[in-house]
Amino acid sequence: MSVAEIEAREIQLEGPSSGLWSDAWRRLRHNPAALIGFALVGSFVFVAVFAPWIAPEDPRAGDLSRLGGTCCPGPSPEHIFGVDQQGRDVFSRVVYGARYSLLIGVVSVAVGLSIGTIIGAIAGYFGGWIDSVLMRAMDIMLSIPGLLLAIGIVAALGPGIIQIMVAVGVVQIPIFARLLRGSILATREADYVLAARSVGVQGRSILGAHILPNSLSPVIVQGTLALATAIIEVAGLGFLGLGPQDPSTPEWGTMLTDTTRYLQTAPHLALIPGFAIVISVLGFNLIGDALREALDPRFRGRA
Amino acid sequence: MLRFVVRRLLLLIPILIGLSILVFLWIRALPGGPAQALLGERATAESIEQIEQQYGLDKPILTQYWTYVSKVAQGDLGTSVTTRRPVVDELEERFPATIELAFAAMLFATFLGVPLGFIAAKKYGTATDHASLVLSLLGISIPVFFLAILLKYVFAVRLGWLPTVGRISATIDLEHPTNFYVVDAIIALDPEALWDVLKHMILPAIALGSIPLAITARITRASVLDVQNEDYVRTARAKGLPPRVVDIRHIFRNALLPITTIIGLQVGLLLSGAVLTETVFAWPGMGTWLVDAIKQRNFAVLQAGILFVSFVFVIVNLLVDISYALINPRIRVS
Repeated sequence: MSVAEIEAREIQLEGPSSGLWSDAWRRLRHNPAALIGFALVGSFVFVAVFAPWIAPEDPRAGDLSRLGGTCCPGPSPEHIFGVDQQGRDVFSRVVYGARYSLLIGVVSVAVGLSIGTIIGAIAGYFGGWIDSVLMRAMDIMLSIPGLLLAIGIVAALGPGIIQIMVAVGVVQIPIFARLLRGSILATREADYVLAARSVGVQGRSILGAHILPNSLSPVIVQGTLALATAIIEVAGLGFLGLGPQDPSTPEWGTMLTDTTRYLQTAPHLALIPGFAIVISVLGFNLIGDALREALDPRFRGRA
Repeated sequence: MLRFVVRRLLLLIPILIGLSILVFLWIRALPGGPAQALLGERATAESIEQIEQQYGLDKPILTQYWTYVSKVAQGDLGTSVTTRRPVVDELEERFPATIELAFAAMLFATFLGVPLGFIAAKKYGTATDHASLVLSLLGISIPVFFLAILLKYVFAVRLGWLPTVGRISATIDLEHPTNFYVVDAIIALDPEALWDVLKHMILPAIALGSIPLAITARITRASVLDVQNEDYVRTARAKGLPPRVVDIRHIFRNALLPITTIIGLQVGLLLSGAVLTETVFAWPGMGTWLVDAIKQRNFAVLQAGILFVSFVFVIVNLLVDISYALINPRIRVS
């Protein structure tokens, strides 16, 4: 048996590579952290979608007679997460809050990701002065700390849910733009692109089969992690009182506003929405980290 | 090295110009126009006219921008609508409070995060390593204001060990020549005041430092894992150097490089996080100042605050870049 034959056999033993995505998927399924992440995010989405069937009560309707002169009754068999200042069922509010967090988070990341990747792709593809102008503009946006930029936008647009989506989305634009541009620039010069070119692969299939898939994976990872950041930022703006102006809106961050006053007598008001945020953010962070490992070609072939 | 610094300084110019244009245009984009925004709800036709003259709002936009920039350069940031005081005077009180808090948070994050990451990497794959990974994952998943509320609940409300709000107890009498209360207490040689100030700082600093702590620990761990497989580490070991010497002189010193780069990133996190942490602990810094300004539609304060904080952020990033080049010769050459 010749050396070449031995090597050929070794390569075959690793099995035919079935492409970046199915490889990544296989690795994700064997990563316990990713599985926990999927379970957390899955239940978060499930609760958000089926909120009306899960929540026992209307999250906005309160009954002050439940307070009985104190604020506020904690967990009991009737209200497993207790009752808030307005006599509303906290469990129902947290369940409906998942809808707001998911919706605002997804929309704002979609805004940031789509505009950001378009800018990044234009900058990376055209290069030259277009690249310089676009990237300097992104640098300027990055020179304002994220939350302050969001606050400035909300101050200009006025408080509210749509405004928060825009603010959190705009903050994400330069991150995605830089990421995709850098990754296009890096892949354009990569050895495997040169190799593809040198064996005569056509320009369009190089872009489609080599440059874009490899440039997009960091964007997908960042998109997942950005969902975590967006949920935190949305809750932060809500906590500062910049969220939905109707205080009965069951948004998690808004629910946390003013609860510090009741910490002594009713800590459940702060703890329950807070842990809801942590659990959903943790889910997206776990998936994001696992995706990063799964999509990294250096880890390819490992289970 | 000089060329690197000069080039980096030149890059600063478009950023600062862009930033000032952004803030300048922002106040013009507000509902009701800039004069209305600067004066607030109490604006009269007369006062609007006065402001318009003072800022030349009737002149062409380029002239207006020039007026704005030269006023800012002279330290005139306008007048606060609510207190009728120059914004600069309020800034002088607020800014040291935030810097003091951010600095304490940074110390906490670095002096705990670096050793934690180092130990985790040295015990790679063990329970200690896994525990540190889980903790740092939790650290980046907890919103800073919720951690602040949790800490306040446990240590201030339930256990009563530490104060719940503010920078100093009302009963303590302390002069504030610098507005850095720790420095003020040391200048006054007042140990009681110093202890009081430090006690007020512990919880906000831990809350604010938690995310940088998690990030520092993660980066340190990854960086130590990278470095310890380098050839020079193997050589040092082969020479028979004691493991502790290799750890400190070869692994630790080189692993520190990537950690310095993330300091700049963390300053942005700290400044953003300070807004939320200060709100929970009623800390009289930039954060509570800006949040009050939004609620009162005090746009002169908002404009000055956002411009100033971003300016500080840009300068700190510049300093980090330059010091990084000082530490790492490879950057200078490129």
